[in-house]
Amino acid sequence: MPNRRNQSMRTFQSSRMNRNYNNVSYVSAVKLGPVTHTVLVALMITVLGLIYLTQATKATGYDYAAQEIDTKIAELASQKSSLEVENAKLTALKSAQNSSVAANMVAPSDVQYLPQ
Amino acid sequence: MQAYTNKRIRVLAIIVFVAVILFVIRLFYIQIVRHDYYALQANSEQMRQWILPAVRGEIYSLDRGKPQKLVLNETVFTVWADPKVVAEPDKIIDVLKRVAGGNLRSNAADLLKKTDTRYQILATKVSSRQAQLIKKEKLYGLGFERGEQRVYPEGELASQVLGFVDNNGNGQYGLEGALNNQLTGKDGLLKTIADVRDVPLTLGKDNVMVPAVNGQDTVLTIDRSIQAYTEKALRDGLQKIGAKNGSAVVMDPQTGRVLAMANYPTYDPSKLNEVEDVAYFNNNTISKPYEPGSDIKTFTVAMGLDTGTITPQSTYLNTDYIQVDDRTIANALKGHTGTITMQDALNYSLNTGMVTIMQRLGNGSQITDKARNTTYEYFHDRMRLGQLTGIELANESAGTVIAPTDAEGNAVRYSNMSFGQGMDITMLQVSAGFSSIINGGTYYKPTIIAGKMQNGNFVAEQPSVIRSNVISQTASDQTREMVHIARTGFHRNIDTPGYYVGGKTGTSQTLVNGRYVNNETIATYLGFGGAINQPSKYVIMIEISSPGMNLEGSLHAMPIFTDISNWMLGYMQIQPKG
Repeated sequence: MPNRRNQSMRTFQSSRMNRNYNNVSYVSAVKLGPVTHTVLVALMITVLGLIYLTQATKATGYDYAAQEIDTKIAELASQKSSLEVENAKLTALKSAQNSSVAANMVAPSDVQYLPQ
Repeated sequence: MQAYTNKRIRVLAIIVFVAVILFVIRLFYIQIVRHDYYALQANSEQMRQWILPAVRGEIYSLDRGKPQKLVLNETVFTVWADPKVVAEPDKIIDVLKRVAGGNLRSNAADLLKKTDTRYQILATKVSSRQAQLIKKEKLYGLGFERGEQRVYPEGELASQVLGFVDNNGNGQYGLEGALNNQLTGKDGLLKTIADVRDVPLTLGKDNVMVPAVNGQDTVLTIDRSIQAYTEKALRDGLQKIGAKNGSAVVMDPQTGRVLAMANYPTYDPSKLNEVEDVAYFNNNTISKPYEPGSDIKTFTVAMGLDTGTITPQSTYLNTDYIQVDDRTIANALKGHTGTITMQDALNYSLNTGMVTIMQRLGNGSQITDKARNTTYEYFHDRMRLGQLTGIELANESAGTVIAPTDAEGNAVRYSNMSFGQGMDITMLQVSAGFSSIINGGTYYKPTIIAGKMQNGNFVAEQPSVIRSNVISQTASDQTREMVHIARTGFHRNIDTPGYYVGGKTGTSQTLVNGRYVNNETIATYLGFGGAINQPSKYVIMIEISSPGMNLEGSLHAMPIFTDISNWMLGYMQIQPKG
């Protein structure tokens, strides 16, 4: 059955597919005037414009995220520098000399050297 | 009716067409004809420019070869207020007092009452942690400005070597002054469109982003333990005898690296407002030339040995006086008359022995042109006295060594130079020249830079040889032995046993208004130390002076040398022999 149908379609097409012969003729029931066309074109341009603007400003959203990250980096960097300063002060010679560990140290009574 | 409608549509189309044409013309005018004008206006409103500050390079010392931070940067904040919009002034003062304490300005409460102003600084140098605590309170009308300040965790340590950074961010004195450009780095630039909150946006095509180049992190040759001990020994030595001024240099004679450089009085770079005298900023070891005195006899002996003019056992007849042209030169220490050796002359620091070397460089009895030319070549050209050493520190002075071609460069001048008078040189020049004499004859460029930090790793710099034939190896060995005998011959039990230590005293007269005065002398001591039969590990030079005090090298400067030397032998873990 499908084969027969296909065969008839081909017959129909071959008989109608001649030069300068309209295969399909269609007339819409809705008629659009020039103003409607203009409005439609304007709408299409507007929609396309909005899409463009959305895409163009999408990168700006990343800028705000980047700004937040930059701020966070700066805060962490300043905290790091403060910690480094604190560490340097705690390990300074004066701090070490004044520590309880240093206070309990005693001078060696004798020093022996290993043979070279 | 149809015709009427078509007419209306045509009219409408014409109106629309005309309107569109007007729009197009207007847009053409704005976008094409007045493009530059409106682009400029838009840029001025939207474009913002930020300086991306470069971080100043940090400075490290060494701690047994390992870099240790000596000068750091700390982020600090300036807290300001807009009195016009501040809602809770009492709470602001209360929070700042509680959190920022001493950083709060004493008149902060009054500043907040100035409601006709928009910017008042309430607290400065607020730490990052304090700033965070203040921000947590969400006080309306407060602002924070980020900044950097130098921090010196070791306080006064090596302050004259380091220098400091002034309020404009410029390095002054010391390393900060000499290497200011290298330490400063280069600020970057960000130029871009920003929103109303000044957040930079990636819109537009004219954005500029030049990253900042941070300053170079620099590692000094200064060993912080040696520096600390040298400063302590110098301070204690001065206080013991009541002298006011002193300087010390400790150097590695095998590389030219400065291990310590101390001056007293000194200052704390973080408390500049407490400094009583700006002279304390000076590093006298490089910027204050002086008459070196008898330390230079080691240079004269080395020259005599290298030229073959003398040997340690060469003799001469010492009468305590020697004639040079119309001048009679006398020994400071008299009584060792008769035929004595050059070793004796060095031991007793006899001026006549040194003048004799000069005469023998000439025709045997006179300091001829040849003798003066040779001396100048050795002192100035080979041992580099009277020349800038090129050390990486600000305000180095070249000093003066008079050339024989100069009218003042006569025989009397050169006879005086043989025992350290008649020339002005710095302690660093003497230390570096002496290092070349005792290390086999190689003059290393004195340096304070051990290397740099790159990505957290220490990249060391190699020593720089200026000249490798200052004197011969034989002359160097002989001079070293003579200087060793000059020390141990008089002072047998002051050095830790089992080591090879040598040194020479110096006592210089002081010039006031061009004339030597009798009530003030400068005491110096110059020596080396290390293991027996091994290259010397260190050279130490001490200089002390005080207005109205007659100081002597052997009595006042030598004990400080001995203190540092004995400590160095232990600190450097040099194994004794015997």
